[in-house]
Amino acid sequence: MNLTIDVTNIDGVTNVVLAGEVDAFTAPKLKETILPLTREEEVVQVDFSDVNYMDSTGLGVFISALKSTKEHNSSMRLVHMQDRVYRLFKITGLTEIMNIDSTVQGGM
Amino acid sequence: MSTLKLDLENYKELLQEYIKTRDEQALYQAEQFSKHSMQQNISPEEIINVHIQSLQEIYPDMPEYIQSSMNFLLETMISYGLAYQEFQTLREKQLELKSEISVAANMQKTLLSTVKPHIDDIDVGALSVPAKQMNGDYHHFVHDEKGGLGIAVADVIGKGVPAALCMSMIKYSMDSFAELRTDPSVILGSLNRVVERNVDASMFITMFYGLYNSIEHTFTYASAGHEPGYYYHKDRDEFEEIDVPGLVLGVSPEITYTQYEKKVEKGDMIILLTDGVTECRQGERFIEQEEVLHVIKQYSHLPAQGIVDQVYKHFERLQDFQLRDDFTLIILRRNV
Amino acid sequence: MDFQSCVNIKKEWDIVGARQLGRDISRKIGFGTVDQARIATAISELARNIYLYAGTGKVCFEAVEDMNKKGISIVAMDEGPGIQDISQVMEDGFTTSGGLGAGLPGVKRLMDDFDIVSETGKGTEIRVVKWLR
Repeated sequence: MNLTIDVTNIDGVTNVVLAGEVDAFTAPKLKETILPLTREEEVVQVDFSDVNYMDSTGLGVFISALKSTKEHNSSMRLVHMQDRVYRLFKITGLTEIMNIDSTVQGGM
Repeated sequence: MSTLKLDLENYKELLQEYIKTRDEQALYQAEQFSKHSMQQNISPEEIINVHIQSLQEIYPDMPEYIQSSMNFLLETMISYGLAYQEFQTLREKQLELKSEISVAANMQKTLLSTVKPHIDDIDVGALSVPAKQMNGDYHHFVHDEKGGLGIAVADVIGKGVPAALCMSMIKYSMDSFAELRTDPSVILGSLNRVVERNVDASMFITMFYGLYNSIEHTFTYASAGHEPGYYYHKDRDEFEEIDVPGLVLGVSPEITYTQYEKKVEKGDMIILLTDGVTECRQGERFIEQEEVLHVIKQYSHLPAQGIVDQVYKHFERLQDFQLRDDFTLIILRRNV
Repeated sequence: MDFQSCVNIKKEWDIVGARQLGRDISRKIGFGTVDQARIATAISELARNIYLYAGTGKVCFEAVEDMNKKGISIVAMDEGPGIQDISQVMEDGFTTSGGLGAGLPGVKRLMDDFDIVSETGKGTEIRVVKWLR
């Protein structure tokens, strides 16, 4: 499986649309895209609608992105997460410290 | 059958024999010759050169264009020869690396080794298997004479060497908590500060720490974002998820962990694991948590170690004997 | 025999010229077909490196004699960007040209002596020798 990353800017909000799997193979590419955005942009939104699998390496990317937003006074919002991916954020306690859209999408 | 003739000098004879007889046996010798040449690190262009010389000797009147065409072939083989030599060197290097990693893996095994405790009233089963040579999972038992048993289960993001290095750090920090009876919440709090200060921004560790009191039969525990374990109620024959909130280690320095306590009844089980157990994949299908519990139930008549071993065997087979993630499973059962 | 001849490398075609001259000289020195082919391949690699990374430079040939052996010395020089990490380019499996070339480790294998001096921003000089056996 692969991961496609699409970055668009709508009304001042940088939207990163992900599709595929975030794992040890695709995480470096994701990190390269997201980290600079947290430095350059005010608000970064990541759309998870089409992410059907993520592992702990993927979580690591979002943890470093979160740390970066704190350093650069920007913010990050994760939206449209599928259940399986949301579970990962929930178990690791990250739902408490990250801005994650609560309207969780169903689906597998 | 004549003896094998393997040196370059004999190539001419072999070739001549083949041209005369068109015999399979000569071709078989050619095969032996090629294998032997590889062992001697003889590159393809040298063989072609010998071929050209042999032809010249066998056919002194060989047309010039044949000679030229053979030279042309020789030229094209040079790069193949180089690639072959490079491949040989890389293969040696790979073997070197492999043996180096296996030394490191052995060191890690010694470093992280833990002894499964033998306590009269509780039956303990534990197994940790790395997906690669080095283990990014960690579990540890600490046991005192007053019937206290501390159990740590942790999982570092990723696998392989980086995860293993990070795990060694956890092990050293754990060793520095001299007091066994330190509260799980305090242990996680201090580890969190160690990890936060010492690892890369994208690195984190999940950990579950529990303290079993084998006199009172209570279990006190806290979790730092670790994969939830399960509690088995013997009387109801039911599993309950041990789902406790807590942030993973290494993300935020000012975090406090809450600890919980449970009374453990006779026959009850505490099941602790890493996500290598619940994230097992069968092809494109994920194995659901229920399946883990189902397998545990199926073997619940066995001693705790027996159950653990059977669960591992089950998932190892499901994954075609190729673990994708490190696998750690611990089962505690109150016997008396 | 004590002469030095050089071929300027400016375009890809010059690589062929360098090969030709190198082969002629090695034949005169007495190298056999296989060694001629190896020397030509080494020249190709050196000249192509100049063409690809420095743009221009030159490859010089010289018949050399040492005690009781004869050989050919080839020097490739350019004033290109230089090589930052020589150990890295000398490592097997590291080729910047997409893995198609034999790279410098290949040149080293084809020849007997190999020496390289490079300074970032100033250029590179590679000297190789093949001895007649």
